[in-house]
Amino acid sequence: MMRSKRFAGLVILVLIAIRVAAQESTSSHLLGIGNTNILDTYLSQEKYKGSGFTYLYLREATNPEKHWSNVIEHELDFSTTEDRSKTTTELEAGYNLYWGRYRQWRLLNDHLRLQAGGLINGTLGFIYHTSSSNNPAQARVALNLMPSCIATYDFRLWKQHFAVRYELNVPFLGVMFSPNYGQSYYEIFSLGNYDHNIVPTTFVSAPTFRQQLTLDWRTGERIAIRIGYLGNYQQAAVNNLKQHVYAHRILIGIVIHE
Amino acid sequence: MKQVIIALITLFALTSCIDEEEHPDTPQGNFEALWKIIDEHYCFFDYKHQAYGLDWQQVYNIYNVRANGDLSSYQLFEVLTGMLSELRDGHVNLYTSFDNGRYWKWHEDYPTNFSDTIQRRYLGTDYRLASGIQYRILDDNIGYLHIGSFANDIGEGTLDEIIKYFAFCNGMIIDIRGNGGGNLTSAETLAARFCHEKTLTGYIQHKTGKGHNDFSEMEAQYMEPSSRFRWQKPVAVLTNREVFSAANDFVMIMKCFPLVKTVGDQTGGGSGLPFISTLPNGWTVRFSACPTYDHNRQQVEFGIAPDYEVSQSEDDFRQGKDSIIEFARNLLVE
Repeated sequence: MMRSKRFAGLVILVLIAIRVAAQESTSSHLLGIGNTNILDTYLSQEKYKGSGFTYLYLREATNPEKHWSNVIEHELDFSTTEDRSKTTTELEAGYNLYWGRYRQWRLLNDHLRLQAGGLINGTLGFIYHTSSSNNPAQARVALNLMPSCIATYDFRLWKQHFAVRYELNVPFLGVMFSPNYGQSYYEIFSLGNYDHNIVPTTFVSAPTFRQQLTLDWRTGERIAIRIGYLGNYQQAAVNNLKQHVYAHRILIGIVIHE
Repeated sequence: MKQVIIALITLFALTSCIDEEEHPDTPQGNFEALWKIIDEHYCFFDYKHQAYGLDWQQVYNIYNVRANGDLSSYQLFEVLTGMLSELRDGHVNLYTSFDNGRYWKWHEDYPTNFSDTIQRRYLGTDYRLASGIQYRILDDNIGYLHIGSFANDIGEGTLDEIIKYFAFCNGMIIDIRGNGGGNLTSAETLAARFCHEKTLTGYIQHKTGKGHNDFSEMEAQYMEPSSRFRWQKPVAVLTNREVFSAANDFVMIMKCFPLVKTVGDQTGGGSGLPFISTLPNGWTVRFSACPTYDHNRQQVEFGIAPDYEVSQSEDDFRQGKDSIIEFARNLLVE
């Protein structure tokens, strides 16, 4: 009995050791602040500009032996914007999930890591026009397949360890929800009338792309401070409606190496 | 790897900005923006061209001249409101901080056929009031209820109570004179209490593009009977020219039910579901965006004629009687 327990414990320890050896992972928690620019012709022909906040969680797990890595990102956004006359307001809130898988290459004596692959992006959010009672809000629901690449360069400066990371996600194919041009939400949801409300999209009709440029300063064995820029440019032109939500954020946060 | 990078760069290069032309915030720019919003979104151009010769391009030519120059906000408001009034639509408004542009000729040019002073003689002071509905049993055993607006939600519990209260009445009068509309769902909740089988009540369309005739197919609208207490006896719905929008829709639905008759004046209309947009100077414009039709696919934008056209007579007025209520009482007793 005792022998079998010892054996089981040994197996668990070995498995953990293998997993630790095989997986290098980092997770980062970042807060962002910056400008937001909104256009949604279902709500208004005017553009709305203002400020917004973002929380971004990014976790990357790498298997060096297999040359593959997985990235998952959770992005929460909230913006408050005004038209150019400062009379009317639009609020925007959204959640974006990015799940990606990358092939990686290590170059320059392992200082440069290049990753290329793709990710699946799910978007859930809304734009709310506070002055409108008849068509006050636009739902934002989309699923995108986005080719993506990441370049990370490690370097030492002033006896400190730094890393510069750039990530680019570009549009390819997707599907999104949209009311038709003049279709009311009452007709869609109260009467149940469907009219091209689930729309397939391509990099032409929904040229959404996103980029991040960050700098990590390794301040401890497992901790780094990260600053950077996040640009998320979500766009669509479907059902004769145009929409864009451009978010520019200055990011700051921490990275935990596990 | 080189191919991957080339593919990514190609996709990146092919992406473009989704943008919209912005008109300048000048009198001319605001005029152009407003004309274009209506041109691309308004839903009754074709019908109103047939009805009274509306030509939106001609309207542009007339008002473009007036919008030129150094206009004050008040002058611009006058020009833009004048242009919108060419649509003859109570759902078209221009909202500013100093005034609301409106077209109310659909009821201002007609008698109201309603006096709240006389109505008080029927309701008294001890009437019941719930969910914005005033109701009582008149002395000839007719249930009378008045709904001045559909802006509030109507509770199912309230409707249960009203129907129970009127259970031994010979008929019911639903007085919606002066009801300028509100929530379509409130009107439908009430109407479902008079529906006893799935009934075709009308059709709805929406615009699918910027062209004046870019519309979806007409989608049939059906009413299902309420699963709660329903009214099984005769009903008279009282209407006047102020019955508009969701209240107009209520009349359109109720006319589909065999035990319902409408009494009074033609309704004010307003059959387009409104949308809202904004101008460069921050003014807000409301306009009809989705047309609805009756069960015969006919327009009800300019109102619905009653089954019995009755006006308030001066003799009755002097005697403190409401001619339309009196007519409805006799109709229900018959």
